[in-house]
Amino acid sequence: MTCSCATHTEKKDVGMPQEALVLEAKMMTATEKHFTLKLRDGSKFEYEPGQIVEAGLFGYGEIPLGLSSSPTQEDSFELVVRKVGKVSSALLKLEKGDSMYIRGPLGHGFPMEELRNSDVLIVAGGIGLCPTRSLIRYICDRREEFKKFTLFFGARSPKEQLFTDDLANWRCSMDVTYDETVDKGDDSWKGNVGVITTLFAKHPDLSPETKVIVCGPPIMYKFVIRELDKIGIPHENVFVDLERRMKCGMGKCGHCQINDKYTCKDGPVFRFSEIENLPEAI
Amino acid sequence: MPTYHLSETELSSWVNAIMATQPVIGPVAKKSRFVFDRLEDSADLRLDYDTTILPPKKAFFPPKQDLLHFDASGVRGAIKPESKVLFGVHPYDIKAIHMLDVLFAEGHPDHAYLANREATTIIGSSVQNHYQHAFFGTASPSVPVQGHDAFLTKIPDGYTLDILSEKGRKLIEGQNFKPASAEQTAASEKVNEDAKANCPEKLTYTSEEIKAKLKASWDSPLWEEASQDCFSCGSCNTTCSTCYCFDVQDTWNIDQKSGKRYRRWDACMTTEFAEVSVQGGTENFRETKAARYRHRMMRKAAYLNDKLGGPACVGCGRCSGACTADIANPVNFIDKLMKS
Repeated sequence: MTCSCATHTEKKDVGMPQEALVLEAKMMTATEKHFTLKLRDGSKFEYEPGQIVEAGLFGYGEIPLGLSSSPTQEDSFELVVRKVGKVSSALLKLEKGDSMYIRGPLGHGFPMEELRNSDVLIVAGGIGLCPTRSLIRYICDRREEFKKFTLFFGARSPKEQLFTDDLANWRCSMDVTYDETVDKGDDSWKGNVGVITTLFAKHPDLSPETKVIVCGPPIMYKFVIRELDKIGIPHENVFVDLERRMKCGMGKCGHCQINDKYTCKDGPVFRFSEIENLPEAI
Repeated sequence: MPTYHLSETELSSWVNAIMATQPVIGPVAKKSRFVFDRLEDSADLRLDYDTTILPPKKAFFPPKQDLLHFDASGVRGAIKPESKVLFGVHPYDIKAIHMLDVLFAEGHPDHAYLANREATTIIGSSVQNHYQHAFFGTASPSVPVQGHDAFLTKIPDGYTLDILSEKGRKLIEGQNFKPASAEQTAASEKVNEDAKANCPEKLTYTSEEIKAKLKASWDSPLWEEASQDCFSCGSCNTTCSTCYCFDVQDTWNIDQKSGKRYRRWDACMTTEFAEVSVQGGTENFRETKAARYRHRMMRKAAYLNDKLGGPACVGCGRCSGACTADIANPVNFIDKLMKS
């Protein structure tokens, strides 16, 4: 996909990390921490929904993270770090007043021009809610620019649900038709239990013209696509947000390559029809 | 741009003159092989080398390169380009360097590479002896030899020297080289044409035919067959003149306060190259030897062709010689693939 946003036309030097101040840091689950940040130098961090940053600490390294906030949010931006390895564990120790270092924004985000004036469905599984939240919040902030907006979110268990404040808002919001499921419930859970595809049967009104965003664990994609096929949504209108090991974030180092595409530069959001025949994609 | 004629004596006094002003990196003997190294004495220069163990890209894209230095006071870029002359680069390696120039400049420019490259003057030289696995005469024939500053060709009565850029012209300031005669120029053209024709190995298919066949062979059993004996060591990558994948790591100094971020050459044939950390372990997007072998071949002969005007292989033959399992030779594999 091509993009004419400031990031890609002005060729910002994304090789040099910028210091970002932690305004708020909050554990969301046992392993995920939610950071609200702003650039130390006071400048605004400009990005598009779905773009990524390389976030890190000197001496530890960097990891790629999707931005979790919407650019409509003026004074700060947000990232979620899941504790997985050396770098993420170091980042998880940061608290309010500390700094992390970011490079970006990198890559191509969601196709905003195509989504405007369309019905939009977002299917987010687990940590896939983090990058898609940038788009969810964007749509809610500029609701009049979009038509019918539906959001499906699936988590493994109620305890692993992310952004619970947001979820509570979306459940009663007029801006979004929100539905959710967990793979395994607990005593307090009154909602749907089952994989995310079980939500489709409850929403027979999804039109074949809907533009769809899918982000979640690799296993989720093929089953969600099967449901979309049943509705008759063409693969040109489906966008997937992919994850790979990214080192340079600049389309050079080769780690995130999927066949001839670089996830960090050509993605992380890809039109499904463009990658469905790339055997290494999903 | 002019062509001059140099005698052996003029050549060595010229090399000495350059060495007096800046470092000169050139081919020198190392046991039974050759390496590009900083010249200590112009007599060490071995323009009769067949090929070097590592390609000359290391002069500005070193195996390990600092990107950033950090301490309690902040972070600084570590790019410190040093003016130098890369002397005696064979035409296939010149092509490879130009490919890297294109790839590092496109999109987000890689300043760590470009600054070092800009500070380097490249003097090419004709192939006097062929490496046993060389097939540069038939690899990427559509890609011109370009981006260098001067080119030296060994002819029976000395050398011809083509000056190709302003950087090249500056290097001969103060020298009194005579213009080459028409016979000498014609002789040098023949030398370079013969060098291509006399490669010990040859591709017998066009780049387009190979690319089309590769793209149609994603599910071929050949990948599995060809990669069976692979040790996943990455030698084919690290000796490749066009490979440019790298890893980025941070390290602390002994004070535990300051340190650096550096990059080092990486290799897509190694097991963990496409591995990501996930909760509870790792996930590998190219888990099998066959998938990695295919990725390397695709990257050399299919994925980058449009950007480079031809395949990202220049036929140096280093991978064939470096492979312990003897499976990396592109000529052998392509031949098998095309006949399948």
